[in-house]
Amino acid sequence: MAIVEFKDVTRIYTSGDHEMKALDKVSFTLDEGKFVVILGPSGAGKSTLLNMLGGLDSPTSGTITVNGKDISTLTNNQLADYRASTVGFVFQFYNLIPTLTVYENVALVKEISRDAIDPKRMLAEVGLADHLQNFPSELSGGEQQRVSIARALAKNPKILLCDEPTGALDSETGVLVLKLLLSMARNYGKTIVIVTHNQSIAKMADVVIRVKNGKIRSCEEQSAPMSADEVEW
Amino acid sequence: MLIRKLFRTAWKYKSQFLSMIIMIAIGIGIFLGFNIEWQSIESDTSAFFEETGYADYRLYAETGFSEEDIEKILKMDGVDDATRYLAVNVSIKDTKKSIALNVSENYTVSTMLVMEGAAYDDTLGGIWLSDKFAEANALSLGDTLIMTYKGIEISGEIIGLVKSGENMICVADANQLMPDYESFGFAYISPEKLEDALGGVFYPQINLISDMGKAELEEAVKDILGTTILVTSKEEHVAYAGAQSEAEEGKTMGSILPVLFLAIAILTMVTTMHRIAANEKVQIGTLKALGFRDRKILCHYTSYGLFIGLMGTILGVILGYGIAAIIISPTGMMSTYFDLPQWPLVMPSFCVPVIILTNVFLTLISYLSVKKMLKGTAADALRPYAPKAMKKSVLEKLPFWEKLPFGTKWNVRDILRHKSRSAMTLVGVVGCMLLLVGGLGMKDTMDRFMVMLDEEVNHYTTKINLSESADNNEIKILAESVEGDWLATSGISYEGETVTLEIYQADNSKIRFMNKENELMKLSDDGAYLCLRLADTAQIGDVIEISPYGSEETYEVMVAGYLRSLMTESIVMTDDYADSIGIKYHISSIYTDENSENIEDSSLIAGKQDKAMIMETYDTFMEIMNLMVMIFVLAAIVLGTVVLYNLGVMSYVERHRELATLKVLGFRDKHITRLLISQNIWLTVTGVLIGLPAGVGVLYILITSLVSEYELSLTIGVLTYLVSILLTFGVSLIVGWMVAGKNKKINMVEALKGAE
Repeated sequence: MAIVEFKDVTRIYTSGDHEMKALDKVSFTLDEGKFVVILGPSGAGKSTLLNMLGGLDSPTSGTITVNGKDISTLTNNQLADYRASTVGFVFQFYNLIPTLTVYENVALVKEISRDAIDPKRMLAEVGLADHLQNFPSELSGGEQQRVSIARALAKNPKILLCDEPTGALDSETGVLVLKLLLSMARNYGKTIVIVTHNQSIAKMADVVIRVKNGKIRSCEEQSAPMSADEVEW
Repeated sequence: MLIRKLFRTAWKYKSQFLSMIIMIAIGIGIFLGFNIEWQSIESDTSAFFEETGYADYRLYAETGFSEEDIEKILKMDGVDDATRYLAVNVSIKDTKKSIALNVSENYTVSTMLVMEGAAYDDTLGGIWLSDKFAEANALSLGDTLIMTYKGIEISGEIIGLVKSGENMICVADANQLMPDYESFGFAYISPEKLEDALGGVFYPQINLISDMGKAELEEAVKDILGTTILVTSKEEHVAYAGAQSEAEEGKTMGSILPVLFLAIAILTMVTTMHRIAANEKVQIGTLKALGFRDRKILCHYTSYGLFIGLMGTILGVILGYGIAAIIISPTGMMSTYFDLPQWPLVMPSFCVPVIILTNVFLTLISYLSVKKMLKGTAADALRPYAPKAMKKSVLEKLPFWEKLPFGTKWNVRDILRHKSRSAMTLVGVVGCMLLLVGGLGMKDTMDRFMVMLDEEVNHYTTKINLSESADNNEIKILAESVEGDWLATSGISYEGETVTLEIYQADNSKIRFMNKENELMKLSDDGAYLCLRLADTAQIGDVIEISPYGSEETYEVMVAGYLRSLMTESIVMTDDYADSIGIKYHISSIYTDENSENIEDSSLIAGKQDKAMIMETYDTFMEIMNLMVMIFVLAAIVLGTVVLYNLGVMSYVERHRELATLKVLGFRDKHITRLLISQNIWLTVTGVLIGLPAGVGVLYILITSLVSEYELSLTIGVLTYLVSILLTFGVSLIVGWMVAGKNKKINMVEALKGAE
């Protein structure tokens, strides 16, 4: 069943008289529970695509349907509620609140999500049960990204959106984080979309969407994705 | 090229730059304004005193001074000049107006400055009239003026319009606070004219110019004339004392307020320059990597501080002279009090070094902020500035900490993490509150003072001034016929000071008395009452010694209590007590509810004054008061707004990334606004809690420092508290909303890029 449907989605950024077409009539669908990688060089429009999907930005034209609901015409508040209930984000630079402890950073989502999962349980699952009272600055990059994953999943979202989640980590840590991300997503049955320019990650995906110059070049399903251990990094 | 960068950077941080420039401009403006004000008062009045031979000392003898007396005085060592002098209040015929009629026998001391008309000549029979009185009453040169004194008419042509140092503050008596040229003025006539009119001369006063000390002069005069003479120095004369106290007020205003503003400006500078330098750290690193020498980079960033300082100084100097000109100018606020021919603005010399030092200090702050960022190699400098890592505070050990909502924890930690920013916000709120409570409380206190004066103490309709030659028994008959109270005042020496002895017969309650607690009280016949200013000099039950001027005698007086004397520094007793200890006195005025029209003129009566008219003279005073309150309230609002906005924007910029993260997580704008505002509210509540007592304290200090003039009782109405709190919260919340409103415009996508 399709959980995401993009239909003729165009996004034009204007600055002054200058127009920049970041997305040009993009259409595709994603099935629930799949691991999707969006691949492309920088400036191809893949982050724009992710932002549209995440409700951070609205299309200039076209429709985006997520979980049976059109999100392309929502108001700011409706978009906020959509972000709170339907999507979870994992960023390249973790984006934790420096003045909140690890536990509090995850517990934060209880303020906005009704069916949030117990933060302690989430943190235990990402292997940080011993660091609940630490501040983010006391953790390594990999640990911080794990907090970020726990926070994204604690909202119990339908879709997990990750923008270069391993971009700021060394490759070894990157693989560990990626493994964790995938196993968590599978355990909870989440659809997971990763935006990256890393070809290796694509080898693990169920679906690979290649983007270039604001258009989708290809959208292919891989019947036998590799596991993280099989991929050469 | 770097200069261009300076202006672009200034534009980028325009709200910070602007707020610092405003704070410095206000600080320097108020500093200069009030210091120029008092210096100009001192310089302008002393130049005028010099010009019109203003007397250093006045000797009084009720029986008058003879020609021999003045000759002896003139021969005394240390006396530069002297003249026999007469100054009496006379009525303008068929009006309620009166003027102080002045005669200076030698016309070398206590003279006048002719603004228009004939120069002084003792053979001329005309009248030199106060130009302000003439203007207010549409009189001009050539008009005839008829005055009445003890029933005798003195008339003449107005031949000159004048100003005089002696009458620079032209008030009828100590009960009149501000001049009212429509109802009271002054005039000079020649001694010959006086002799013609009265059929003889009588000079109860000698005015003299001398550098001697008061005690020394008193001794010398006693030696030469053989009797104790009441000597008053210029410090006790209304013109000089008035100028001095205005200058004192200016000095107070010129030190408290500007210090507050400059201190806040400098503290803001510290936090803001640090923030700008931190934000610019990568740029600083880039310049360094490009090969710029540290010195050049330092110079560039240091010039920010200098630029802000210079801009603030330029605006401040303009503002300062503006403020001074509002007060000191021919049509300025002070012109309703002083009658001066010229109003040049004079800046005290210490202002220049203070302003230069302020600028040096500001430059130094930016120098030090950048110096810190420049430390180490170019690579170090290129790394962005990292704020202090979080540490747990003591607060988190509290048992209920874990139960607090995340927003509260977030705000508490944010406040503790950015201590200087939070402290500055607090200082801004405290300052705002302090100015409001101080300013509005001052008005409450003055309003209360006016009510006490008008309704509680002075419970009469008409004041009858009695002539010096009137007989006490006849006066008592007159007082009884109008059901009036009466008062005898005289100068006495008490503990080496000149104070007023006031003897009342107040059985009709036309004059009432008030204790320290502002309750009406009855005077007992068992002793004398000291005014609150003298309360420290003796305990109740003590016996004090007083000696009236002009007599050798000393009286022992029992202290029966203290009372609040609104105007004069005085010792008060009933006529019965005065009679019982045998003090001689002469009744000077009667207070009655009879309308002045119904009181028949007689040789006893020198003049009549409606209380309503006396009270009207306070109007100008109250207007000035209200203007000051307006300045305080405006200053409070500007201070609050500028400081809070600047810090609010800074806090917003610092948390920009966190706010974007919250937004991405799905927090609604309103939710985030609430988070930001609640931090503002806590700091405001704390600031109000500190500022309220601080404001009351400052007001108390201000009022006690004015106590030598009036015995004010600190009064702060509920409304003042309410308005102060509401205004402070209003400023804080509006600024909070303004800053929080920015979060709607956060570009989530932009904010999430790049590392912290």
